[in-house]
Amino acid sequence: MMMRIQTRSRVLLAGTLLSALLAAAPVALADTPPDTLVQAWAIDDMISLDPAEAFELSTGEITGNTYDMLVRLDANDTTKVIGGIADSWTVSDDGLTYTFKLKPDIKFASGNPITAEDVAWSFERAVKLNKSPAFIIQQFGLTSDNVAEKAKAADAGTFVFMVDKAYAPTFVLNCLTATVGAVVDSKLVKEHVAAVTPSDEYKFDNDFGNGWLKTNYAGSGPFKTREWKANEAVVIERNDNYYGEKAKLARVVYRHVKESATQRLMLEKGDVDVARNLQPGDFDAVSKNADLAVTAAPKSTVYYFSLNQKNEKLAKPEVREAFKYLVDYDALQDTLLKGIGEIHQNFLPKGILGARDDNPYKLDVAKAKELLAKAGLPDGFSVTMDVRSQQPVAGVAESIQATAAQAGIKIEIIPGDFKTILTKYRARQHDMAILQWGVDYWDPNSNAETFATNPNNADDSMNKTLAWRNAWDVPADLQQETKDALTERDADKRSSMYADIQQKVRDTGPFIFLWQETEIAGLRKNVQGFKLGPTFDTNFVAPVSK
Amino acid sequence: MSDVAMSRREWLLSERPQSRLQARLGRAYMSWQRFAANRLALIGLAIIIMLLLVAAFAPVLAPYSPVAGDLRQGLKPPGWEHWMGTDDQGRDILSRIIYGSRLTLYVVVLVAILAAPIGLLVGTVAGYAGGWIDTVLSRITDIFLAFPKLILALAFVAALGPGIENAVIAIAITSWPPYARIARAETLTVRNSDYIAAVRLMGASPARIVVRHIMPLCISSLIVRVTLDMAGIILTAAGLGFLGLGAQPPLPEWGAMIASGRRFILDQWWVAAMPGMAILIVSLGFNLLGDGLRDALDPRGAGQ
Repeated sequence: MMMRIQTRSRVLLAGTLLSALLAAAPVALADTPPDTLVQAWAIDDMISLDPAEAFELSTGEITGNTYDMLVRLDANDTTKVIGGIADSWTVSDDGLTYTFKLKPDIKFASGNPITAEDVAWSFERAVKLNKSPAFIIQQFGLTSDNVAEKAKAADAGTFVFMVDKAYAPTFVLNCLTATVGAVVDSKLVKEHVAAVTPSDEYKFDNDFGNGWLKTNYAGSGPFKTREWKANEAVVIERNDNYYGEKAKLARVVYRHVKESATQRLMLEKGDVDVARNLQPGDFDAVSKNADLAVTAAPKSTVYYFSLNQKNEKLAKPEVREAFKYLVDYDALQDTLLKGIGEIHQNFLPKGILGARDDNPYKLDVAKAKELLAKAGLPDGFSVTMDVRSQQPVAGVAESIQATAAQAGIKIEIIPGDFKTILTKYRARQHDMAILQWGVDYWDPNSNAETFATNPNNADDSMNKTLAWRNAWDVPADLQQETKDALTERDADKRSSMYADIQQKVRDTGPFIFLWQETEIAGLRKNVQGFKLGPTFDTNFVAPVSK
Repeated sequence: MSDVAMSRREWLLSERPQSRLQARLGRAYMSWQRFAANRLALIGLAIIIMLLLVAAFAPVLAPYSPVAGDLRQGLKPPGWEHWMGTDDQGRDILSRIIYGSRLTLYVVVLVAILAAPIGLLVGTVAGYAGGWIDTVLSRITDIFLAFPKLILALAFVAALGPGIENAVIAIAITSWPPYARIARAETLTVRNSDYIAAVRLMGASPARIVVRHIMPLCISSLIVRVTLDMAGIILTAAGLGFLGLGAQPPLPEWGAMIASGRRFILDQWWVAAMPGMAILIVSLGFNLLGDGLRDALDPRGAGQ
């Protein structure tokens, strides 16, 4: 009896082992299908796929790949704009009217032809829905009352866009590359429009298809969205009706994976082809792995710390300058920011029109001490700094604390979550704060306006730019220059004006610019053509193959 | 046999002490003997004395500055140059742990000084007065006890603002209730005894009775309890530091050091492991010492 049980259990054991091996085998060989690119990415910020509503990082990438705009950023030189749906465009002599000729005989993914009516309706719904990204179009003087007049189809192939001031054409075109200007298939969306009861906030009797488009697709990009399961996955498929060069792969799957370590493991095992949220440690490990490759690109977010000019010590020009010499930029670049950021001492991120990339400041304690002595503070002083308790910001703040201490400035770090710090910052109650700023739209004005203008430095100002938040009374000539740059019609001249504004803000402003964020990705070796762009809507996946 | 010939030990253990002093010293000596018989308690004591010495001579012992680092020397593994390695800011971890012992002692001592008297006062007053005073004080104690300690401390720190002084206050506020319970229980056992009645008959005021005749009786069990709690206090302080609500950078508080080392736990284990080890050893020391003291000081124990 004993023997028999033992034998049986031995058979059982062997069977278990065998089945375990069998089960393990496909896992070990798990490769993604050859016509599909699988990306692991934290996509829990996604709340809507409607281009008139979506303003998040992940949706930016989906919209950028699945929709088309009138004009697009040139992937090879993002300071330039190329045609999207528009074939060519002209600007009237008074600078108020933009006429776009559409590419002939192009179709939406549904097969419907793309006409100027679709473009006009897309603008109309974006302005009327008035969701978070709507201001990018509305700033040209478009309101729900005049949008039908200001953005209209002259004929099936001609779209006319009228602005309220003679802006720089580069400014207008740059803004039209934003995903809010994506052209939707009006015929298809209109089949799914839902009725709503008008109210004071929303005066219209229908939702312009917003409810349906949140989870569905009506575009014309190189890919079409097949499905989005919240916090699980987004699947986009090749659009065979696309007029341009067709996507190389049949399908791209974005899998929601939050943890960096999990993404690294999945990438190492071959469960995914691309990992998008790797932390520096995991990124290091991936870059050393022979089966894997890495890629990186500067993104549009700039990190800085600022000095509130309400603090009379920080308001002294010498103190402002001294702080610029009290950051160990080189060491930060080599250690805490390695792979995730690049030292950048100007407010415009690299890749945008007019961006400077010179970094004149270096750690120089002696020079800073000299400046402090000139300011009448030879022994330094005490000051607080609000810091988000998250890396790499917290580590950088500690490093600044240590280098500033060498010049006698005692920084007390106040940790907090982002919301608390932002509330304090907006109420101008901080001494110093280390924060980041991402561009709202791909034009230098987005940052210049906030860093270099402050129309009213009073506490009750309506215009709460970053200069206002730090109570910096921006010199009138600098404000004027920023205003002029917005209407400068010559692109080269405009670019050099922004270079000048950046230098003035860098040299005299209460901002110490630290670094520009770098987006990184880990790839399987067989993935070809994967290139990150400067914005999320230029992270194009159509050229990717494997 | 003359007094001179008597050895010091015999003098201390004399059955018939000649003076009050001799009696007290004799009692203390017996306690010490009971304590010393416990090998583990002695180890605990040695750890705590070490901690005191390290804290006192931190500037002499620490090989580097605890706050100034060189970023490029960051995350170096333990070696001859840096015995415990360096952290992400390039600071020497050994030096930080040595200076951190001062913060740990500071927290522990301040909490003990703040919390124990509060607990003692509340407990003895409640126990001696009885009636509605007892009910009110006991229920307040119960309410404080009903909250998890760390959560309550978190709430207080959130209200007071982060910082080591506020962490001390928050921990003190949350750690007095057990002392009040003990003191009350001790008071209840002695309040009706004959010698208290005698003092009362001699006209002593309730305040005098509580302070002069009841509190001294509660102190030994309180000391034991406080010593045993020291480990808990250190852990709570470290917990607050870990959550970013205790000591603020660049102070080398052990809990905060673990928090910042957590990011490197897989590849640079020493950044979090070294301060963790320090907390482990010191907490263990206080626990062993507390156990030994309980055996030595327990008034109900043998020999009294």
